[in-house]
Amino acid sequence: MLLQQLADGVATGAVYGALALAIVLVYRASRTLNFAQGELALLGAYVSWQLTAWGLPIWAALLVATAALAALSAGVERVLVRPLVRRHQALPLIIVTLGLMIALNAIIGWVWTYQTKEVPALFGSGAVEIGGVAVSRQDVGIVLTVLVVAVALGVLFELTPVGLRMRAAISAPESAELSGISTGRTMTAGWAIAGAVGAVAGTLIAPELFLHPGMMTPVLIYAFAAATLGGLDSPPGALVGGIVVGVIENLAGSYLPHGSDFKQVVALAIIVVVLLVRPQGLLGRREVVRV
Amino acid sequence: MSTTATRPARTSGGGTTRRGGGTVAEWLRRPRPPLAPPRWLAVLSTVGAAAALLVVPLVNPSYVNLTVTLVMVWTIVGLGLNLLVGFGGQVSLGHSAFFAIGAYAVAVAGEAGWAQPAALLVAGVVPFVVGYAIGLPALRLHGLQLGLVTLALAMATPAAIRAFEPLTHGSRGIGIDGTPPAWVPLDHDQWVYYLALAAASLGYVVTRRLARGRLGRSFVAVRDAELVAETLGVNTWQTKTRLFATSAAYAGVAGGLYALLLEFVGPENFNLTLSISFVTLIVVGGLATVPGAVLGAIFVQYVPTLTSSISPAATGATYGVVLILFAFFVPHGLAGLARAALGPLVRRVPGRPKA
Repeated sequence: MLLQQLADGVATGAVYGALALAIVLVYRASRTLNFAQGELALLGAYVSWQLTAWGLPIWAALLVATAALAALSAGVERVLVRPLVRRHQALPLIIVTLGLMIALNAIIGWVWTYQTKEVPALFGSGAVEIGGVAVSRQDVGIVLTVLVVAVALGVLFELTPVGLRMRAAISAPESAELSGISTGRTMTAGWAIAGAVGAVAGTLIAPELFLHPGMMTPVLIYAFAAATLGGLDSPPGALVGGIVVGVIENLAGSYLPHGSDFKQVVALAIIVVVLLVRPQGLLGRREVVRV
Repeated sequence: MSTTATRPARTSGGGTTRRGGGTVAEWLRRPRPPLAPPRWLAVLSTVGAAAALLVVPLVNPSYVNLTVTLVMVWTIVGLGLNLLVGFGGQVSLGHSAFFAIGAYAVAVAGEAGWAQPAALLVAGVVPFVVGYAIGLPALRLHGLQLGLVTLALAMATPAAIRAFEPLTHGSRGIGIDGTPPAWVPLDHDQWVYYLALAAASLGYVVTRRLARGRLGRSFVAVRDAELVAETLGVNTWQTKTRLFATSAAYAGVAGGLYALLLEFVGPENFNLTLSISFVTLIVVGGLATVPGAVLGAIFVQYVPTLTSSISPAATGATYGVVLILFAFFVPHGLAGLARAALGPLVRRVPGRPKA
């Protein structure tokens, strides 16, 4: 029973981790939280669904949705976000991503209605047995996909010249700019990757949660909890945080009284405790402000 | 002062084509001082508005009174939230939680047989205390993190209400008796209207004094330059916590009035959508302006009525698009536009401006 809960927790946690990864990538690029991250992922899931409804196989639909969301996310950065980042307007920036969140959600509901849609599972139905625990094929696929995405991004950031430039632009924007790196372009790239990762997360979780316009809001809050736990500027932290949050959520849901209701409170509790005890998160770096 | 300092730099930087396009946007974005009408005009318009507001519930059918009362309820939330966000620079996406606490305070106090004004007082005090308790740790955080905590708070509110079943009766909600006391010769809608009017007027006056006084300036100082404010002797942490608690109290009183007005509270009334409409209210009305709360309240009360005839999704789409547009082009909101439009007129009115 406990092992089963853990396994389920790891699978949902992988999706939280993926969305948290998107949040972290955006935070690193623009020093802001993208409250629309969940709705962008939701849009990715809907694009995937629409394409499969038009007869595309699910893996092809996922590829197209990922590319489309990367482009859209890059566009959002370029048009809505960068002017405000350049003017150092933190509050308007929050208002804009909040507005985008509401607008996207409403438009999705408008276009695709509020009825539940069924997205085909990328990895087929049925379960496999791992160490005496039955895990659905989709769950195994989710964990593996998120791992592959994480490793690919790790390689991109740590081992390629592009990744080096991106890290430089993040850790020392002015020096990077002086040595010929376009920080604007790296910001856009960060958002594009975040959009793509989000689309993958949305499409992967859709068969399990059933696709409807309210699907991503709770996922987003868990992803925020995961990103906070892992450290807002740490991509590996986001994944670790995601798994931990997924497991805690699953255990709380089954072992606490009023479990399903308290699940909602779990995210709040995690965020508050982490921010009080270790505001930089597990793997994040403490921010030091010079007066 | 800042406009005169930046304008020459802008115009010399941009070419002629940019300048033509830039001026409209810049005109919209320019900060403006509050209108300073001569004393006689200020008194006259205040008396006129007060008289009109006092007469409204006596001559209108109850559904009109209901919507106007709701506008006043939203105004109270807006006044408090704008103190926090506009003047204090702290983001809260969780004011639906304090609104809910106020509403439930009135409901529970009503069940215990308390008089309504006493229940409303409780509706202000409890959120103040809760806000203080949440503010103590949360305000050590900077803006984004506070936004995150309050977002999670808003999402957790309906679930938390359901979980405290002995007090809140879970999903069944609580019915409230909103009939006026025996000595008041008014109908329910008129009675709640006058309660709301009293609370909103009090809130308005208090907010204006706060905003223009020493406290308001310390809020703005903390918002704009926290470290500088601290070196000048402002206790930033205490300022922020009190501000958060005060703003929560406003939302609580508004929630209490809302409960009296609808005579029912249930967990689903207090979701994230409500919090978002509060944020929309202050952004549309005008951040860091006091009259903005009224204009924003009118917006969030009447615009959904218009848009819901198009599609159930239209309200959300409108709020979202309006938030983005205002953040970019109208940072001082409708109140800023009103200042821009009326400023030149008011300046021409004869008479000495009010000190």
